This record gives sequence, C-alpha cells and structure tokens, in this order.
Amino acid sequence: MSRAEHIGQQAAEWLIAQEDGLLSPAEQARFDAWFAASEGNKAAYWRLEAAWREADRIRALGPRVPMLDGNRWQAWRRRAWRPLAVAASIALVAGLWAAAPQLADYVPAFIEDEPAPQQAFATSLGMKKQIGLQDGSRIQLNTLSVVRTQIGAKRREVWLDKGEAFFEVSHRQGRPFIVHAGDRQITVLGTKFSVRRDGEKVIVSVLEGRVRVDELKDSRLLRSSVIVGGNIAMAQGAATLVTVRSEEKVQDTLSWRTGMLTFDQTPLPAIAAEFNRYNARKIVIDGESLENVRISGTFPSGQPDAFARLLRNAYGFSLDETADEIRVSE
Amino acid sequence: MERPIAVMLEDAQIRAWFCREVLPLERQLVHFIRHNWKVEGDVMDLMHDVYELAIRGARKGLPNATRPYLFVITRNHLINRAKRARIVSFELVADLETVESEIGAFDQERYLSARESLRRVQDALAELTPRVRQIVQMRKIDGLSIKETAELLGIGSDAVRQQTSTGMRILAEHVFGAEPRPSPKSKLRMPYTKGGKA
Repeated sequence: MSRAEHIGQQAAEWLIAQEDGLLSPAEQARFDAWFAASEGNKAAYWRLEAAWREADRIRALGPRVPMLDGNRWQAWRRRAWRPLAVAASIALVAGLWAAAPQLADYVPAFIEDEPAPQQAFATSLGMKKQIGLQDGSRIQLNTLSVVRTQIGAKRREVWLDKGEAFFEVSHRQGRPFIVHAGDRQITVLGTKFSVRRDGEKVIVSVLEGRVRVDELKDSRLLRSSVIVGGNIAMAQGAATLVTVRSEEKVQDTLSWRTGMLTFDQTPLPAIAAEFNRYNARKIVIDGESLENVRISGTFPSGQPDAFARLLRNAYGFSLDETADEIRVSE
Repeated sequence: MERPIAVMLEDAQIRAWFCREVLPLERQLVHFIRHNWKVEGDVMDLMHDVYELAIRGARKGLPNATRPYLFVITRNHLINRAKRARIVSFELVADLETVESEIGAFDQERYLSARESLRRVQDALAELTPRVRQIVQMRKIDGLSIKETAELLGIGSDAVRQQTSTGMRILAEHVFGAEPRPSPKSKLRMPYTKGGKA
C-alpha cells in the first residue's frame, strides 16, 4: 500500500466514524492528534470530505433503479411501510412486555451472566460531562446531575438520580437500554433523547427514534406511553403529558448540550430558574408585573449577568447585583 | 474546543482555500505529474506530497494565484525527488526545468458548473464495483446509516465501513482527479491502482 493510500484510508475511517455519531472524548483526542500531526493528513481528510460531500449530488438524480438483491431491496424500497413496520415491532415488544411481565423476568439462569459493575458519574454546578459507555452508547450529563450505569450482556441500565442527561443509545439487538428516573422507566432500543428530573417531575425529550415511558409503582407497571422523535413527555404523579412538538422544539430543549439555553415565549421566572440551574449567582425576579414577561432567544447558560443586563437595556428593568444574586425589579 | 481560536481559524481558511482553489486543479495536477513522472505507482504519493507542501506554504499566507503556486511546487518537488532518487534520467529533470513557461498556460475548466460536477459524480459512481456503488447510494440517496445499511444487506457494520471507505476514495479520485478512461464500467479495482499495479 502506498503512503497516500494509507493516509487516505485513515482519513476515510475518521470521516466515517464522525458521520456515524459523536466521537467519544478519547476518540476525539486521537482524531485531533492525527489531524494535527501533518498537513498531509489534513489534505487527505479535506479532500475526501469534499468528495464525499460532492457525492450528495447524486440525490438530485432522484429515485434510483433497484439493482441486485431483488427481494430485500424491493421490500426496503416500499419505504412507506417502514414506519409501520417499526411501529409494529415496537408494539410487539411493548405488547410482550406489558402482557407478560413474567416473560421479561424470565431469563434462563445460564444466560444471565455476572451482574455488571455499576459506575457513577456526577457533574457539579455549571459543568457538563460526556460519558462513553462500553456498548458504544453515550451520555452527556448536564449541570448538577448524577447517573449510575450498569451495562451488562443482557440489559443496559442507567439510573438518573438527579438532574438531566442526553442519551445517544447504540442499537443492540435484544439488549434493551433502560433509564430509571424516579417512578418512570424509559426503555429504548436505539435512539437519541434526553431525560430531566426536576423533583417529582420527569421530562423526556426525544430527538430521534422512539422510547417507551413506563410508570411504575413498587416495580409494578402501571401505564406506558410511547414517545417518538420530536415529542416531549412531561410526567408527574399519575399524569404523563405528551406534547407533539416540532423537532426544533426538541432541539431547543437540548441546546444546553452546546452551553446555550433556548427560550420561546418563556415567562421570566422560568427563565430565571433555568439560569439558576447552572450558576451559583442566582437571578431573582422581584415583582408581580415581571412574572408575566415572556422572552424568546438563545443565551449562554453560564452568563446570567449578560442576560440580566439585556433585561435592563431592552426592558428598562433595574438590577441590584451582589456577589451571589442578581435581583431584577421594575 | 480547547484548541486556540487562531489555529482553528487558520485551518478553516486553509480548508476553504484548499477545497475551492486546489482540488479543482487535481485533474490537471495528476495529468502533469503523470506526464513528467513515468513511474505510475508514484503518482498518487507525489500528488499527496504536493498537497502537503501546498498547505504548509499557504500557512504563511494564501497565494494570490493558486495555479502557478501549485505547479511550481509540483515541479520543484519532482525535481527534488528525481535528484534524490537518481533513478530518472537527466532528460526528465531538464524537461522539468523548462516546464515553467507552460505553468500558467492552460486555464480552462477552473470552476465546475453544477451540471459538470454532477456528471463527474455520476462518472465516478460508474467506476465503483456494484456492491460499493450500492452502499454509497444507500448512504447518500436513501440516507441510511452504517447500521441500517449493514442490516439491510445482511453484512457486518465493519464491512460496510470498509466498503464506504473504498467508495469515498475512489469517488475522490474521480471527482477531482482522473480523466474518464475507457474502462469496463464495473471491473473490480482498488483505489489508487491504475493499469499494471495490483
């Protein structure tokens, strides 16, 4: 293999890995090192990247002529059926689960391996953390959050003890990924979603794919609801509210992953509460007339003072700033 | 994220320049190298070297005129390699010394139209083996992930990655580089191998 070929192969591997999903911190570090190692590596990477992007043009050619593998391909081509099929398979799984809980519990002793070790991860105020799991799934932990993970050969389980986390679950046949959040249990087969605990309230935002949210009481299943991409479920007590919203809305609720907070006509007190999740210096909204002010926009989560100044400049509110508080009043 | 912003900016600028100004010249560049260097197996390595040198030079500032810049680098690199290797005749070096005059001479097909770009991609696609082409189409037209592609074809994800990698490299070679060759459309070939070299 020639030098150029060898480097081209490495560049292709990186591009494919990056297209496949977020790199883990370790992988990212390896990529950065490789990328920085020589201008030649960069050239190879940029060249393949550009060519691969050029290949997007073939989409303009429209539907293509099916070739090879007649049957399988034909089946896939009837894409209209695909969501239905997925729904059906999920319904089947859900059905099995709901109708015969004993079936789910029944795992032949010889298959169940040693319980996998549990690991705990936590973030402090204003911090974020990226966690790569053994099975290739990733968890991004938001401010003031605690998760425990147990990734076994049969089951993958995560307990969100506190706070908020974004999950990117790699699909593993027959190895459900279960997130426990209080009395809610979220079961997925492969998707991207976030779970936030706010006292008794559990909020599930699904970016891609589907998840099932189960309500449990003394580890008995009470109710289930399926949340699909673009939906947000808020669960509290016996109620689970599923709001059908756009993908952008879900993106908005996930903007913390990039250090931003996004609001859409959100009342000022809720915005203050959101900022206060990230910062020691708390925003306090003082006065009833301020409570009905609604604001839209995207702001850096770590800069409550910048946001407060904006309130002062745009709305004429007065600010009373101390070391650990920014009081906003009329 | 931790990288200093200045470096990132520079990378972004160089990348933009490289994609906009340099890659469209690849066809001429390969032609030039092949014309002046008779060892076919070296051509891709030499091109790669030229890219590396071009980027290294551009760090100090983007050239005003990319084509002469690129071809001067290429000529000098070929001369250095020839002198070092001592395997090529003096005629070659002498030829290269006189090449300067023609460096700025040909200036057609600089920026490609969308239609031309699409045609090149189509031609490039035709160069792939049926399996690799199928995978590229599944990824690009149907928007399938590696996993979905693997499941559908009943092969492993690693195989899909391998074939995607092959597809990427052959596409790059044909989209930017090689002139259309009269070759049987779906013959089995690896990237960067031409003619005799297996």
